Amino acid sequence: MAKMEAMSDYRVVGRPLPQIDARERALGAAQFVSDLKLPRMLFGRILRSPYPHARILRIDTSKAKALVGVKAVITAEDTPQIPFGPRSEDWTILARDKVRFVGDEVAAVAAVDEETAEEALELIQVEYEELPAVFDPVEAMRPEAPLIHDKPQNIVSEFHLTRGDVEEAFKESDFVHSASYFTSQVYQAYLEPMACVTDIDHSGKLTFYLATQIPSMTRVTYAKALNMPLEKIRVIVPYYGGAFGAKMETNLHLIAAVLSQKTGRPVRMVNPRQEDFMAGNPRVPMYIDLKIGVKKDGTLMAKEVNVIGAAGGRAVYSMVIVATACYRVDSLYRFKNLKTKGLTVYTNTVPTSCFRGFGNAQMTFALESSMDMIAEAIGMDPAELRIRNGLRTGDVSIHGWKIGSSGLAECIEKATEASHWKEKRAEKRYARGIGLACCNHVSGNRAFAREFDGGAGLVRVGREGKVLVYHGESDMGQGQKTVFAQIVAEELGIPLDWVEVAWVDTDVSPFGMGSFATRGTLFGGNGVKAAAAEARRQILELAADMLEANPVDLEIKEGTIFVKGAPEKNLPFKRVAEEGLYRRGGAPIVGTGFWVPDTVLPDPVTKYGNISPAYPFACHIAEVEVDTETGQVNLLNYVAAHDVGRAINPQTTEGQIHGGVAQGIGWALMENMVTEKGRILNPNFRDYVVPGPLDLPPIKSILVEPIDPNGPFGAKGIGEPALNPVPAAVANAIYHAIGVRITELPITPEKILKALKAKKR
Amino acid sequence: MSTILKFWVNDDPIELLVRDDETLLDVLRNRMLLTGTKRGCGEGQCGHCTVILNGKSVNSCLTLALEAQGGHVLTIEGLSEGERLHPIQQAYVEAGAVQCGYCAPGMILSIYSLLQENPCPNEEEIKEGIKGVICRCTGYYKVIEAVKRVSGGG
Repeated sequence: MAKMEAMSDYRVVGRPLPQIDARERALGAAQFVSDLKLPRMLFGRILRSPYPHARILRIDTSKAKALVGVKAVITAEDTPQIPFGPRSEDWTILARDKVRFVGDEVAAVAAVDEETAEEALELIQVEYEELPAVFDPVEAMRPEAPLIHDKPQNIVSEFHLTRGDVEEAFKESDFVHSASYFTSQVYQAYLEPMACVTDIDHSGKLTFYLATQIPSMTRVTYAKALNMPLEKIRVIVPYYGGAFGAKMETNLHLIAAVLSQKTGRPVRMVNPRQEDFMAGNPRVPMYIDLKIGVKKDGTLMAKEVNVIGAAGGRAVYSMVIVATACYRVDSLYRFKNLKTKGLTVYTNTVPTSCFRGFGNAQMTFALESSMDMIAEAIGMDPAELRIRNGLRTGDVSIHGWKIGSSGLAECIEKATEASHWKEKRAEKRYARGIGLACCNHVSGNRAFAREFDGGAGLVRVGREGKVLVYHGESDMGQGQKTVFAQIVAEELGIPLDWVEVAWVDTDVSPFGMGSFATRGTLFGGNGVKAAAAEARRQILELAADMLEANPVDLEIKEGTIFVKGAPEKNLPFKRVAEEGLYRRGGAPIVGTGFWVPDTVLPDPVTKYGNISPAYPFACHIAEVEVDTETGQVNLLNYVAAHDVGRAINPQTTEGQIHGGVAQGIGWALMENMVTEKGRILNPNFRDYVVPGPLDLPPIKSILVEPIDPNGPFGAKGIGEPALNPVPAAVANAIYHAIGVRITELPITPEKILKALKAKKR
Repeated sequence: MSTILKFWVNDDPIELLVRDDETLLDVLRNRMLLTGTKRGCGEGQCGHCTVILNGKSVNSCLTLALEAQGGHVLTIEGLSEGERLHPIQQAYVEAGAVQCGYCAPGMILSIYSLLQENPCPNEEEIKEGIKGVICRCTGYYKVIEAVKRVSGGG
C-alpha cells in the first residue's frame, strides 16, 4: 500500500495517456520521412547485385546517364571509397570490385521522378564474374569455403568467456542437460520501409532527414564515410514508421547524400518493400549448443554454450549481438560456473543486425527451452525452478551486474496466477498445453555505447509558459516523446499539454546515444528530467524574487507557483516565464541537464562490470492447443508480466507489450526468410506472413513496478523484453500439449508432424 | 498515353492529366500531396494505401487513377472535419491504437468501411474487417479496442 500512496503523489507520471502526437498521426497529417517533399527534389534508386558473390568486371552507365530526366548515375568511383562501418570497417558506400550478397549496392541513380529512376536502372550494364558463394556460417568456416572479406575462416569476431570451473561443476551436478537450437532469420517488417531525404546547401553542408534510431552516432559514422567534418552534417529525425532495431546506419542514406552532392539537389530514397527485405538488416540467425548442469534441488551449477551467428555479407552489429547472446542471460539466474564461445561469421547473405532482443532473444529461446526440460527431468515445477534461481533485488550477477531492482519473482507469481498455471499444468485433456518462459534484459548497454554513457536534455520555457523539450534519442513510434513530456510536466508541476517535444536535430539537440538496448525511457528520461529540474530552479529563483520568498519554500502544482503553507501567495507559471524573459533581454529560460550512471565499460577480456543502470525482467505464459492431424498450433491465451520499474505511461507500456508479444509469436510460429542460394524467396508480405489480428490470442499484460533506484521516477525500459520470452513460452506450451520438443524456429506444422511421427516410433 | 481525370477527392472537384498506367496512390501522394495515404508495399498486401472509392474500400496502389473517373474518393484527410476528429479517429487516439501510426490512415479507413457495412461488429467481425491492414506495433489489441469503443459493440 505504501507504494500505491507514493504513486498518487504524481499528477502526470503513471497515468495511462494516448501519445501526445496521436492526433497528428490519426489525422494522416504527420509527415513521415517518405512523405517529405522538398523543392527541386530528385528521386533516387539503387542498382543491386543479382549475385550472392561476384567480381564486378565493368560497369557502363552511359546509357542511363543519357536518359532524359536522369540527373546523376553513380558507382563506387564517385564515392570517397573510404572503408567504414559502425563496428568493423568492411563497408563502402557502393560495392568496389566485389559484391557479397544478393541486394548489395552496385550503382545508383537520381532522376526527376521515380519512374525515370527505375527506367535508368535497367540501362546500367554491369559485367560480373560469379564467384563461389557460401550461405551457412558453419560451412563458411571450412577450409574450402570462399573468403568473403579475406578474413581467416570468414570469422568476423570471436567471443570467449570463462568463469569458475565448468568441468568440475558439471561433475558435481546431479543432472546435465544438453540441447542444440537454431534461431531463424526474421525481418523486422517495420511498416515504413527504410527511407531518407538528403539536402545540400551552398557551403556543402548536408542535411539528412532520417528514419534512424541513433541520430548522433549515425552522424559520426557518416562523417567518416563521406570524409567530411562532423559540423557539415546535420541529422533531423521526423516521424518514421517503426524500426524494431533495424534502423541504424544504412548505405541507403549515404547513397542519397552522394547523389545530393553530385546534383546539388535534395534527394529522396525509399526502399521498395522487396529491396527492404533483400538489403535491410534482419535478425542474426544463430546455432546454439547449450549444456547446463543442475543439482536435484534445482540449483544451477554450470552452463556451457557455443554460438555461431551469420553476419551476412558485411558486419553491421552482428558481432555485438552474438556477444550479447553469449552472456546476457547469465544475469537472469544465479549461475556459478560458465564457459562461453561465440563466433560471428561472414556469409553471402543479407547483412544481419539488430532486431528487438539483440541476441538475448535468440539465447532466451535456448535457455528457457532447456530450463523447461530440466524442470521436467528433476521433477520440479518450471515456475518454481525459475523463482529458486532468479536474481533478486540487491544481487550482483556473475558478470558484476548490479540488480538495483528485480521484479522477476513477482512477475512469475502474477503471471502464473493470472493464467491459472497450476490447474492448467495439471490438466491433461485434449492436446492443450501451457508453457512459461522468463527473461532479463538491460536498460542501456555500456558495452554498446562505448564513447560515454549517459543521457541529456534541454528544456526551453517560452514566453507563454509553453515548454519545449529537446533530446537526442529517437521516437520510432513507441511513445518516447510522450514519456519525456510526462516526465518534464511532472518535474515542472505543469499540465501535460503545455509541453511539446522537439524533433531530434543534431544542430540543436543534445548528443543522445539513441533508441536501442531498451534505454530510451531510462536514459533520455533521466536526461530531460535533469534539464527540467534546472529550468525549475531558474523559474523558482525568479518567482521567489517576485513573491519575496525563499526559493526552497516554493512549490509548483498544475501551473501555479505558491509558497508552501501559504498558498494564497502565488503566481501563475506563465507569468513568471514571461517576467523572466523581460528581465533577461528576451532570453527564454533554458535548463540543460544530464545524467551519468555509474556503469562500467566491461573489461575486454574478463567482460566483468555493471553494464546497465537497471535491468528489466519478465515472465510470459502461453496457452496453446495443437491439431495433431495437421500440426497446426492455435494460441488460446497469453499472459505477459513485466517488471518495468515504474510505468511512466501504462497505456504506451501495454502497447509495447502487445506489440512485442505479437512479433514474438510471428517469430515463433509464422515468419521465416526463406532463401535459396542466398536469394530471398519470399521478399513480400504475401509470402512472408506477419501476424494478423486472427493469428493472435487474447494478450493479458501485467505491470510489476518495483521502482528502480536509477530510473526516472523508478522506470526501466520495456521495448525488447516484451519479445524475448515468446518463442520459448510457445515451444514449452507445445511440449506440454503434445510432448514434442521443437528446438528450431519457426515451429511449423511440418516440424510438429515430423516430431510426432518420431515420437510414435 | 495520358487522359484527363475528373473526380472528387474529399469533396473537392479535381481535374488532372494523368498517365493511363498511373495508380490512384501515386496521384494522391505525388500529384496532390495527400501523403496521409501511405505506401507500405505497393503490391496490395499491407493495406496502408486503403482509401474509400465510391463508398468501398480499395487498395489505391492496385487501383488505376482512371478507375476513379467521375467518382468520389475519400482519403484520411477528408475523414476529419478540419481539426475535429471523426469519431473513429477519436476512439483510435483514446484507445492508444496509435504507435508509429504509419498504418493508422489505412486502418482507420478500413474500420470506416467495416462500420458502414456493419455498425455493431462483434470481436471476430472486427478482426475479419481489419485483417487487410498490417500493423506491426500494436498486436492489433488497442485497434480492436478502438473499434469496440466507437461502435459500442464487441
